[in-house]
Amino acid sequence: MSIVAHADDATTLLDRMDVAAKQLNYEGVFSYQVGKKMQSIRIIHRANQQGEIERLISLNGVAREVIRNNEMMTCIYPEGKRVQPNHRPLGLGFPGDFLNRLSLASAYYQLSLGREERIAGHNAQELKVMSVDNYRYGYHLWVDKDSDLLLQSDLVDEQNEVIETVAFSSVEMGHDIPEALLQAQIQGNQMTWNRVEHIMATKTLANKTQSPWQIEWMPEGFSLVAQQNRLKAKNGAFIAQHVYSDGLNSISIFIEKIRAQHSHLRGNSKMGATNAFGTIINRHFVTIVGEVPERTVEKVGNSIQYIGRE
Amino acid sequence: MTANQNELLSALVDGELKGNELDQALQLLSTSDQARAQFQRHQLVSDVLHGHVSHNRTVDLTGRIADALLDEPAISLTPKHKALVIPFPSQFWKQATGLALAASVGAIAVMGVMNQSQSQFMPVTAVASIEDPAESMMVAQTSNRWTVGEQEVEERLNTYLVNHNEYAGASNVFSYARVVSYDAGQ
Repeated sequence: MSIVAHADDATTLLDRMDVAAKQLNYEGVFSYQVGKKMQSIRIIHRANQQGEIERLISLNGVAREVIRNNEMMTCIYPEGKRVQPNHRPLGLGFPGDFLNRLSLASAYYQLSLGREERIAGHNAQELKVMSVDNYRYGYHLWVDKDSDLLLQSDLVDEQNEVIETVAFSSVEMGHDIPEALLQAQIQGNQMTWNRVEHIMATKTLANKTQSPWQIEWMPEGFSLVAQQNRLKAKNGAFIAQHVYSDGLNSISIFIEKIRAQHSHLRGNSKMGATNAFGTIINRHFVTIVGEVPERTVEKVGNSIQYIGRE
Repeated sequence: MTANQNELLSALVDGELKGNELDQALQLLSTSDQARAQFQRHQLVSDVLHGHVSHNRTVDLTGRIADALLDEPAISLTPKHKALVIPFPSQFWKQATGLALAASVGAIAVMGVMNQSQSQFMPVTAVASIEDPAESMMVAQTSNRWTVGEQEVEERLNTYLVNHNEYAGASNVFSYARVVSYDAGQ
């Protein structure tokens, strides 16, 4: 098989993987590992005419849960007896248009097929997605040969060192998921349902030219895919989120007007594969968050300018 | 600490106590480390909300300074308009888990290990909270969260993280793996 044909096969597999993740019913346990820390999580995912619903339960320590559906994500924390429903942002089709963006991403990643391996009892095809520059991470993905479901994902840096691994240890697919499995174990009568923020508006991308913020630099291939303002219920401050993506990785820029003497990140911070860079520009907290290298969020952050009225 | 005691401390910060209640609160502060820590949290929240915390106070949360702070007897963050000042314990960089701020998000964070380069993390304002020394040490050494310095900063980052995760990348099957739990392994 030629190199080009190999890459085409890899691209097709990537597309199929994305479809499978959205359209399959599956239930299993996967591990999430960064460095020496590992967490086991149970996942239950159902897709039908009503859309997707997914429940994740942390199996280590306290049984924290995340339940998300088409409109809402709810995080449940037994130790704090607090439930936090959170509207999913309306990203104007993203990640619904993820498939379309995958084809765009291929220009900035080298796709190739790797070895076949056995993951969680399934025969899996390795798919290598390597960045062409050092502004984004690459992936080693293992995709179930039968269902196209992603079974393992290794996020790798420019030295091909694994910085984050997520892998199923067991998974079942294609069966009916009863409603009861998608209900939180912790019922709400002991909880305070805190709605911490409310989406006030979702701006269309056509409004981007009206933004008083100018981002001078983004890694090649990253384009604006979503832009929205949120209202932080606690103090009423608006938070703008601008999301840029190259199709595979994404960078969010959060801009929050300073309303009081609050603390804010200045410089870099890192959590697993996610990097953040914070700065203050024109009395706004500006924070860049993304699953991209530290140099990327820093360079993006340093390129932002306020061009609105003082 | 009971809810009543917590309310008592909150009222003390707000200057609402008199007579027996005031004596009771001061007694509580003089006998309980937990109460003192909680009082500091209330006081800091109050100060921040009222703009009483100096903007010029900068804390460099590098591991080196954190080590140095271990040897410090106390650090005082003096509010401008408060009559009662209680010095911070030296472990002030540890931010509180389960702190009853809006920080439910503090319980969100990410299950992953935070390979935090503390030398690069520099909050602007010295707002901090307290936990017991053992936990402080553990966090200072493992740094498996966004930050060990400021509850407020961490909450904001966690909120951003949750929102950003809506747009996570290729491994979208697992995108919420980062969100499910917090402080795993601690």
